[in-house]
Amino acid sequence: MRDNRAIITRFLLTLMILLTINFFLPRMMPGDPFSLESSDVEGEDVVVMTEAQRAYYMEYYGLDRPLHEQFIIYLKNLAMGDLGKSISNKMPVSGVILIHLPWTILIVFAATIISTIAGVLLGTFSAWNRKRGIDRFMMAGLIAFAEIPSFLLGIILLLIFVVQLRLFPIAGAITPFANYTGVLDWMGDIAHHAFLPVLTLSLSQLTGVYLLTRNTLITVTTKDYIRTARAKGLGERVVWTRHALRNALLPVVTRTGFMIGALMGGSVLVETVFSYPGLGMTLRSAVIARDYPLIQGILLVIAVSILVCNLTVDLIYRRLDPRVVAQGG
Amino acid sequence: MFVDDETRPAFSWVPPDIQVIFDRIRSGLSKFSIEGKIGLFGLSLFILMALFAPVIAGHPPDAITGDSLESPGAGHILGTDELGMDIWAQICYGARMSLLIGLAVATVSGFGGGAIGILAAYRGGLADQVLLRVIDVTMALPSLPLLIVISAFMGPSVINVIAILILFSWARPARIARAQTLSVKTHAYIIAARNYGAGSWYLLRRHIFPEVLPILLVLVIGITSHAIVAEAGLAFLGLGDPTSKSWGMMLNYATSFRSIYFTPYWKWWLIPPLVALIALLLCLAFISRDLERVLDPKLRARRNTE
Repeated sequence: MRDNRAIITRFLLTLMILLTINFFLPRMMPGDPFSLESSDVEGEDVVVMTEAQRAYYMEYYGLDRPLHEQFIIYLKNLAMGDLGKSISNKMPVSGVILIHLPWTILIVFAATIISTIAGVLLGTFSAWNRKRGIDRFMMAGLIAFAEIPSFLLGIILLLIFVVQLRLFPIAGAITPFANYTGVLDWMGDIAHHAFLPVLTLSLSQLTGVYLLTRNTLITVTTKDYIRTARAKGLGERVVWTRHALRNALLPVVTRTGFMIGALMGGSVLVETVFSYPGLGMTLRSAVIARDYPLIQGILLVIAVSILVCNLTVDLIYRRLDPRVVAQGG
Repeated sequence: MFVDDETRPAFSWVPPDIQVIFDRIRSGLSKFSIEGKIGLFGLSLFILMALFAPVIAGHPPDAITGDSLESPGAGHILGTDELGMDIWAQICYGARMSLLIGLAVATVSGFGGGAIGILAAYRGGLADQVLLRVIDVTMALPSLPLLIVISAFMGPSVINVIAILILFSWARPARIARAQTLSVKTHAYIIAARNYGAGSWYLLRRHIFPEVLPILLVLVIGITSHAIVAEAGLAFLGLGDPTSKSWGMMLNYATSFRSIYFTPYWKWWLIPPLVALIALLLCLAFISRDLERVLDPKLRARRNTE
């Protein structure tokens, strides 16, 4: 399993680079945390404490130690889940992230499931009708549609469904101060709020799944075992569902993993459009407030989850389809 | 697909190896589909709009020329924003920003990355192995979150945005150029040329580069639209250059405006940059798809199996 090792090495290397970027970015900035930039002139830092106080704090936070020691301390703290303190929220970064992460997970997973199911259905329909007008029409339409970036699509959906039709709430994940009559009512409210963000994210991934399903199905249906299945008298429907689709689904399933990664990234912008209180929205407020520890913490969570998803897919794919090992090189 | 002798004199001022490329593009253009032609036409409109922005805008994009939030009318074709600046002028100058960033990022990372890939594959050895690792890791880095954080720290300026985007875009062209060069390198005609005494520079310029160029062109267009989207996304998040007039900044200002969705202002403030961005991206996509189909049918098959 030399290839598995190569994949894990790449993962670790990427992770290391990510952590290094995250560690060095704030340290490359001019000034230090104890001087205050209150002037418009660049480089003119106003010190708000005496030299002695400043030295004390530099030592207290370990900022006077050599960089490599600081880096090791940073890694140690990370390993213990300590991401520092959020300036704008006056609480640990990990706490802020834990509050908002569930909403992002909710919409990302819902969008993953919906776009996979819809993409497979549309792709199968298109492959079934291949070379006919409806197939060409769907393909051209969906490919052009995929060119619209998700956050622009989100704005369009917002304008249509919220501003014009007034069908959905404009912001938030739940109705504030609502009195729910039961669990169903509560879930309904959450679904109502999540609908448009999920729809936007699902649509952004739909074309990928659709094309993958359609093209794999078309390739698969030319295979010999499909001819055999037909020759032994199976109906076309059975041939498609039991023989063709089952094999065509393999790449789709593994694609789901990559999709989760892409959706985590895409959710940053889409959540901002809908003011949906997930990690992405928090990242935007952190950017506006220049809350650097929080920005870094969120980056780390999003980036690491993307990396882990891709790693899982790479490893699982080799398990499921031994041919990949032969092809890759 | 190869050199058509009749078309040669038209480009007699360029060296013959570049002419091969010119001829390919010319013969390719005549095979463009309707969509591709629409795309080309649309893109030329945007380019004209960007070039002649001062002429057609009618107003400066960054000066207060009217009342706050005027609806579209005679004085201001598309109305004005919150500060009383003309929207149409901002759209015209925004085309400059989007095209500038898109083209700068795409040419540098596309051709630079491509050149690195070609050279590494041609030379082979340790440099190639190291490059392959670097490409692998660069492509595995999640670009959007990193883009956001790095621009948050480096501060918003057009140059920074371009630099960061290049940093994340060069790996794909490098990898594809490398793979293409590796496969071309072993062809009999290249070996024959070398045995006849062709130098490295001659081989690279005359045989290898023209073989890699078609796929690089397709990638360059892809990177262009990617960079335009990324710039718009960063600006939308509030990480754009506040002194620049870009479509993403317009979206940012419009959506940050309190209660924009409860007023009719979005109709002339939010819709124009939205439509402009989507139209430009669609044009680029149409061109890219046709270019891919026309320049080399083999490319398509390869991309689909990736």
